[in-house]
Amino acid sequence: MSDHDHSHKPAPMVDEVSDFEILEMAVRELAIDKGLFSQEDHRVWTEYVHTLGPVPAARLVAKAWLDPEYKKLAAADGVEASKAVGVDWVTSPPTQFGTPSDYCNLRVLEDTPKLKHVVVCSLCSCYPRPILGQSPEWYRTPNYRRRLVRWPRQVLSEFGLQLPPEVEVRVADSNQKTRYIVMPVRPEGTEGWTEDQLTEIVTRDCLIGVAVPKPGITSNAKRPIRKAIHPVQHDHDH
Amino acid sequence: MSKIQHDRTHHAKMATGVGDPQCFKGKAGKPKFKIGDRVSVKDLPDIFYTRTMVYTRGAVGEVVELVYESPPAEDESWDNTDKSEWFYSVVFKQNDLWPEYSDEFSNDSLETELSERWLESA
Amino acid sequence: MSSATREEVLRHLNTVGYIQPALHKQTHAPSPDEIDHSLFRAYTRPVHDVGGEADIPIRYEEKEEEQWELNTFATCECLAWRGVWNAEERRRRQNCDVGQTQYLGLPYYGRWLLTAARILVDKQYVTLTELSDKIYEVKKRYE
Repeated sequence: MSDHDHSHKPAPMVDEVSDFEILEMAVRELAIDKGLFSQEDHRVWTEYVHTLGPVPAARLVAKAWLDPEYKKLAAADGVEASKAVGVDWVTSPPTQFGTPSDYCNLRVLEDTPKLKHVVVCSLCSCYPRPILGQSPEWYRTPNYRRRLVRWPRQVLSEFGLQLPPEVEVRVADSNQKTRYIVMPVRPEGTEGWTEDQLTEIVTRDCLIGVAVPKPGITSNAKRPIRKAIHPVQHDHDH
Repeated sequence: MSKIQHDRTHHAKMATGVGDPQCFKGKAGKPKFKIGDRVSVKDLPDIFYTRTMVYTRGAVGEVVELVYESPPAEDESWDNTDKSEWFYSVVFKQNDLWPEYSDEFSNDSLETELSERWLESA
Repeated sequence: MSSATREEVLRHLNTVGYIQPALHKQTHAPSPDEIDHSLFRAYTRPVHDVGGEADIPIRYEEKEEEQWELNTFATCECLAWRGVWNAEERRRRQNCDVGQTQYLGLPYYGRWLLTAARILVDKQYVTLTELSDKIYEVKKRYE
């Protein structure tokens, strides 16, 4: 018992385990104990998630810009086109029947000078993980999901994107089994570029539709990053 | 005590190597609508669950794609997957959905998927 | 303006949002005649269907993932991989059955986690007693 007359100090943050962490361990351990899935399954899935990121989708767009036949395939059959960038929606995931949450129906939405697509899942946060990685935090918020379907130009302007009135802004609300990526219009100033160079400027935000690719811009716009208390051991964000 | 029996293998059996929604191909029969049809969204009872957003109800749009066959979300969400329906991608004009949508942007649109039960000819 | 002033200004704008007119009605299980069709529809609506509801511009953020969040995601996908549920069952439970208050009150992955815990009990893979005992056991490790 301390001699000092001071109030009880809480344990330092780094040593505290949250209610979420306790429940997470309890659920995972019970599920494994009861034989619902194995520890190996869980490790395999975590490893699979670590392989996912936006580069395959960016490469699909770059290939389409360079090859008019491939562009037609991408617009007609996103699942088939994904194979050319190493993503088999059915057999790349450990299940061999697609990921449970992302299914096997990618559609590539082709922008034109007269048509700009932007994607949301207003009901939850459905996202084409096998080809684009994990969704950004803002995409999952009730805020984005409420507003994008009804005030798309206002939301896009907050992302720094304004389109002329003649351009049709089409919101794709991925509410069922289809998952979307946007194929933006190839920007000026990229004549003669290689597939690698083109891939670099197709950022995740371009593939969601809230940004357009620009020569020299190879990352998403800077946004505040909310830190985790106990972050993932190795960072799988590309 | 009454203990439920679960078959944890049924989806893997039908979908391994095939994919989902591919595993439901052919199960919905003849589609009622075709590309180009104008359809209106019914305001059906949506007790407990639906994936047909309320903002589409009563609106008229155009079928742009017959996307796949699948059990509807209302049933799949209770693992009742015996019956499948055709799913349609439908495009709506934004100024048909939202009263305050500016005439300035009269080309703007919204595309989303609806299962057959929710649609009727407009 | 100094940055201390700017901080106070932004804090003030935030705080003002907590002071609301008292339009909310207290409700403690009203009688049926107090619930009209609009209210019935609002109470029984699928909670996840938020498209078109009013909201304001906010600062959109990226977020560093917690280890428990990634673990939860893997648990949920493994449960579906091994046939305990499908993703649509998970969504129905996680995004609607949780109810309006938890839906907006809990973190995104908090709902995934609670829903994973719930499926184990609902499908009788564990008893609630087993789940509670396990939570207690895990808690004890960190005391």
